[in-house]
Amino acid sequence: MADSCVRADQVSFRYPQDGHGLNAVSLDIRAGEAVLLAGPSGCGKSTLARCLVGLIPHLYRGRLTGEVWLSELNTAQTPLWRLTERAGLVFQNPASQMLTTSCEQEIILGLENLGLPPAEIRERLGEALARFGLKPLRMRSPQTLSGGEQQRLALAAVMARRPSVLVLDEPLSMLDSTASIELVTHLAELVRSGTTVVICEHRHERLRSLPGLRTVHLDPAARADAEGQEAGQAALPTAPCSPFVLEVSGLGVTLGGRPVLQELSFVVPGGRILAIVGRNGVGKTTMLRALVGLQPHVGTVTVDGKRPDLSLVFQNPDLQLFNATVREEILYRIHGPDMRRYAWLIEMLGLRPYEATPPLLLSEGEKKRVALATALMRGPRHGVLLDEPSLGQDAAHKARLVRIARALADAGQLVVMTTHDLSLAAQADRMVLLGSEGIVADGSPAMLLNDPGPWARAGLAVPAWVRPSLGEMAQ
Amino acid sequence: MIRSGLFGPVRRLALVETSPLRRADPRTKLVLSLCASLAVMLPLEQLAVFMVVWAGFLLWARLLPAAARQVWRIRWLLIVLGAVDWLVIGPSLAVIVTLRLILLSGVLTLFVGTTTPEELRLALESLHVPYRYAFSLSLAFQSVGLLEEEWQAIREAQRARGALPPGPLNLRYALARVRDLVAITVPAIVLTTRRAWAMTEAAYARGFDAPHRRPYRRLAMTWLDWLLLAGAIVVSAAWVLWRRIVLFAVL
Repeated sequence: MADSCVRADQVSFRYPQDGHGLNAVSLDIRAGEAVLLAGPSGCGKSTLARCLVGLIPHLYRGRLTGEVWLSELNTAQTPLWRLTERAGLVFQNPASQMLTTSCEQEIILGLENLGLPPAEIRERLGEALARFGLKPLRMRSPQTLSGGEQQRLALAAVMARRPSVLVLDEPLSMLDSTASIELVTHLAELVRSGTTVVICEHRHERLRSLPGLRTVHLDPAARADAEGQEAGQAALPTAPCSPFVLEVSGLGVTLGGRPVLQELSFVVPGGRILAIVGRNGVGKTTMLRALVGLQPHVGTVTVDGKRPDLSLVFQNPDLQLFNATVREEILYRIHGPDMRRYAWLIEMLGLRPYEATPPLLLSEGEKKRVALATALMRGPRHGVLLDEPSLGQDAAHKARLVRIARALADAGQLVVMTTHDLSLAAQADRMVLLGSEGIVADGSPAMLLNDPGPWARAGLAVPAWVRPSLGEMAQ
Repeated sequence: MIRSGLFGPVRRLALVETSPLRRADPRTKLVLSLCASLAVMLPLEQLAVFMVVWAGFLLWARLLPAAARQVWRIRWLLIVLGAVDWLVIGPSLAVIVTLRLILLSGVLTLFVGTTTPEELRLALESLHVPYRYAFSLSLAFQSVGLLEEEWQAIREAQRARGALPPGPLNLRYALARVRDLVAITVPAIVLTTRRAWAMTEAAYARGFDAPHRRPYRRLAMTWLDWLLLAGAIVVSAAWVLWRRIVLFAVL
């Protein structure tokens, strides 16, 4: 087609390690079009994103069939640097794409590679820092930023290069609601100005304001999980937990001389789902780390005067997976495992097809579910802490996640989750809105989400897409 | 310094912003580090004198506390090596090996404590090292701390899953802890390899291999650099002359 900007003809790819990847797909995207790549977790969205910008086949070994064209350039036959001048890719995991020791340098690096004169680099740098709210973080090391801040930096570094095709792999997953709205607004501006935007994202509803958004559904890859499996309908096979109350008093954490949490106090009984929401970098992850005892802190975290027995599922699942197979991973260091519980977990989390697969070869969403299974298999006495549990999860898996959390709460355990996904947070029993000065509001999700005051004080917006969730909850 | 991150506090050698060497050209610091490293070849008496001069230089550069901390971090290595040398060969070897390690640790502090990976990259590029190697070296330089970070993160993750809990001081428990440590070696390597791959991919996605790259900043030597280089030449020349004079006197 004459005005095709990106064209994929029956493109499929298989990774050599375990043969998974992308089933044959054809795409024809015009210049200035916005396209959403949708499909269940593990269906090959990230693989297709890599094919579109040429990282596959230039950097990956594997079996590629079909052809991808970026305008007149065949990606297999054009040097990668030429392709990356046209197409930019923002990866799913921002922590792993930080290459320098300051935010400023991170943006400059890609601009230097374009051969731009220093004056233009300076101009684009200033613009990117301002647009993504990174000016106060300009000289901070990217490795010290929160997940959401890293996500903004990764976006700034790629967008400053002004590619004509922008491919984003789950760009909203770590952003707070305000940053999400700002990003979508910016993407809409880019689309109007003629940039082609391709987005892999499970949170479709957030992208509605993109002009002319077209959705392309990808078929599940051969190994993509068995959605139809409805085992796990039964309650979580666990003994009911005796009632307890988690007391947090005067919790404070200082990192690098900077107070991150100050004088946080709250009480929450077992048998509840507690959602903690707040802007990027406000200290949500730090708080979970302090609750589980990994983060040195002042103040106390107790159940009956003792430290609680809680498990933490990290935001970045790579850190929690060490074993050779998913099965070994879930059963790691568990003496006399309850195999009924194991069977329930792998069915519920859609992990049955991957029992013999090395966990680190799974997609980000699948790894996240394995990490959750490891925490739940251990069976902590008081509950689990989930850091951004909906990362990489499609709607079906998010629903399962809520069912698991509810099953744990029904068994008397406490589930604490930090999330930017307000539709997920809306399904908790209680919501704590965290601001830079501490707790801004604390109450039921229905009450909080209908009161714009606290959200404004916390610097957050309650977007329209949360409303249907409230409706569902009411039913 | 305690560096905070997503994975919690991580100990690594931080930049000493107050050091006058922080303003010096990285090429000058490369030369200074190289000259100081060559002093490990000196015999004991000369090395002892050089160490005094070196300590004075670190004091001027406001790097002495950081260097002392670095030595403290390798204290067990120094003690074990010193003891083995003392037992196997004699006290003089033990002293010279210890001094050499302290010197090299100071050289590391001088360079790492005053130079960012980006500055190292610029220095290597201006010395005509091809960009791909300069970039890779600077990334490796930056990643030294990340290895420790990965290790720490995995240990934390294991703790979060109930492994490596505090326990009794007995042989059985100690062996279990050793087993755990061995168990995290493989994931640490896997994780580091994966991170290296992710960084490679991210670099290529931002045009790492573009032939027309143009650096934003350029290095420029100042009077401080010329002064430091002159000092390095004078000290090196003095040592060479001293050795010749001593050699002449012996003959």
